[in-house]
Amino acid sequence: MNRTRVVSGLVAAFLVAACGSSGGGGGGNSYSGKTLKLGAVLSITGAGGVYGPQSRDGANLAVKQINAAGGVNGAKIELTVEDDASDKAQSSQKAQTLIQQTQVMALLGPTLSNSAVGGHPLAEKLKTPILAVSTTGINIVPNCNNPDPTPCKYVFRDSLGEQTAIPANIKSYSEDGHPKTGVLLVAQDDKFSSDGGKIVQDTVAQYNIQLLKTIPFSKNDADLSSYVTQAVQLKPDVIFITSLGGIPAKIMTAARTQGWKGQFLGGNGFNTATVSKQAGTAGTGARSASAWYIGNDFPSNKDFVDAYKTEYSKDPDQFAAQGYTGIKILADAASRANLSFSNLASDRDKLRAAMETVNIQTPLGPFQFTSTHDVKQTVWIIQMDGAGGFKLLHEIKAS
Amino acid sequence: MDQQLVNAIFIGSIYALFAVGYTLVFGILDILNLAHSAVFMLGAAITYSLALNHGLTFWVACVLGIAASAVMGLVIEHVCLRPLRRRQAPPIAALISTIGLALVIVAAVEQGKGGSLFVWLWVDGANSVAFPSGTFPNPVWHIGDLTLESSKVVIIPISIALMLVLGYVMRYTQVGRGLRAVAENPRAARLMGVDVDRMISLTLVISSALGGLAGILFGAALGDISPYIGRDNVEVRGLAVIVLGGMGSIPGAVIGGYLLGLVEILAVVTFGSSVRGGVAFAALFLLLILRPQGLFGTRLRERI
Repeated sequence: MNRTRVVSGLVAAFLVAACGSSGGGGGGNSYSGKTLKLGAVLSITGAGGVYGPQSRDGANLAVKQINAAGGVNGAKIELTVEDDASDKAQSSQKAQTLIQQTQVMALLGPTLSNSAVGGHPLAEKLKTPILAVSTTGINIVPNCNNPDPTPCKYVFRDSLGEQTAIPANIKSYSEDGHPKTGVLLVAQDDKFSSDGGKIVQDTVAQYNIQLLKTIPFSKNDADLSSYVTQAVQLKPDVIFITSLGGIPAKIMTAARTQGWKGQFLGGNGFNTATVSKQAGTAGTGARSASAWYIGNDFPSNKDFVDAYKTEYSKDPDQFAAQGYTGIKILADAASRANLSFSNLASDRDKLRAAMETVNIQTPLGPFQFTSTHDVKQTVWIIQMDGAGGFKLLHEIKAS
Repeated sequence: MDQQLVNAIFIGSIYALFAVGYTLVFGILDILNLAHSAVFMLGAAITYSLALNHGLTFWVACVLGIAASAVMGLVIEHVCLRPLRRRQAPPIAALISTIGLALVIVAAVEQGKGGSLFVWLWVDGANSVAFPSGTFPNPVWHIGDLTLESSKVVIIPISIALMLVLGYVMRYTQVGRGLRAVAENPRAARLMGVDVDRMISLTLVISSALGGLAGILFGAALGDISPYIGRDNVEVRGLAVIVLGGMGSIPGAVIGGYLLGLVEILAVVTFGSSVRGGVAFAALFLLLILRPQGLFGTRLRERI
């Protein structure tokens, strides 16, 4: 009697498991026992080293969670992370190795827009889906081969472009603070930063802010005091900073030391705890538009934040959330793509097609791609709290 | 312009302190030690790591950072220079071997991440860091329109005091006489009973300790520590400074450092920030046409 129950129970469980794995979208049992190879080219060292490690940690957490829950329809994810040292040439070379030698199904990255200029067209040419998790410059999607306007088929991004973030931030502050004058400090030798600078220049006039001066500098210049002095001597209401790494924090510290009391506005370069922590009290009140806010308490974010804290004993940031979301997107697409695991080229194409119809809950909020493969999501206006964190000021819904 | 003058003096002091160590080795060995910029970076990185990641007091970390830089001087001598000297290789070979060591040091520091041997360097994974405010006391004075930060002001007396001490040691002490004898003619010095290898080791230790100190002051005052601070900020500029001052001349390196700082900031103010590097090197070029031996250089071999 007991024995029959156990056997029938096992049979039932087996059937449920089988239905579960095939229910994902016709993937069938071909997934179980297989390995879904993914790659990531991130800037763990160099200027992007303040962002890349968090993207990596976020992505690894997602992989760990998915595999612990049985994988993608039974297929385990294997993520290979390569460090491009924030260098454009190394970045393309690492991407090529992952695509051709490691034979990954899809890639995340690279961390910096500057490197994406090389890596994205390469992935497009080799017909491998690549999902940008932190690149925010102009012409990342869809025209990765800019100035050629042809939309790239294999390039996606889940990070909020500066073209959306910077104007949203300027608009929001002009409504709150009515600034009249501004000075722009821009790192001229980096695509992310110089694109951000262009966006600031193109946006300020709409809100009646007079740009008194644009001060370009090199991202490798450690001594920024002379540029900050130039800016402060003009006594602007706002200092715009479009730069990455620790530079925004250094500019804030130097400007406050020289007695300037106005408002700092920036872009995605502000949105990491590392920058907020380095700026300390000098950064208090510095505003930016963010793709993500740690304090959001909808379940897909709260679960992520809790799991991240448990795993790494520290708070996640925007880059961690985007890296985590990147893996979730690829896993969701893979579960619906009916992959064969034998024909890599056709699998890559199936995965690409499935990515276009992703519609999932993520730490960033409800997530979908636009028709141009860009992110469609809520924008959060945040400010530094002077203690290494951020406070939410406004929420701007996706239009 | 006023605050800019202050900015120029601060950055000039760092160039000077860095270049003094650079020029010292050249003056005695006739060799450009291109690993000097890597030692500069290493001093800052080790001090940061000991103070922030390993809980040492800032001042203790500084002393250990300088000591580690001095030890790097011995490594340079024993790995890059002495073996080549034994084989009587030309100076260009030593130059290349120091470039090699610099690349190795930078690459090693870059590797400071989970699972590597150097993980203790950057515990949190980010390798572009700054001392958080409060690590060391840094009062700020405002005099009229001028802002003076003590972390920057302190560089000036340190640079000048070290230059004076070094000048005194060179001219009036037994060790200084030994060093000058080696600079003059190593073979004659050896025949006179000077331990040439020991003198050269000592030169590299002093030079590297100065380089490490310059790196620490740079990291503390400018809030930027990464594997690339030496390469990006002082390597080529330091070379320019010692050429400007006269190869091997210590006062020349100091004056040259301040001059380069001034010219750079002047370029930023007059022509805009994008020409910073270019104008400075154009000025250097002009000066070399007018005075090929540099400001304090002599055509004789007596340099120090």
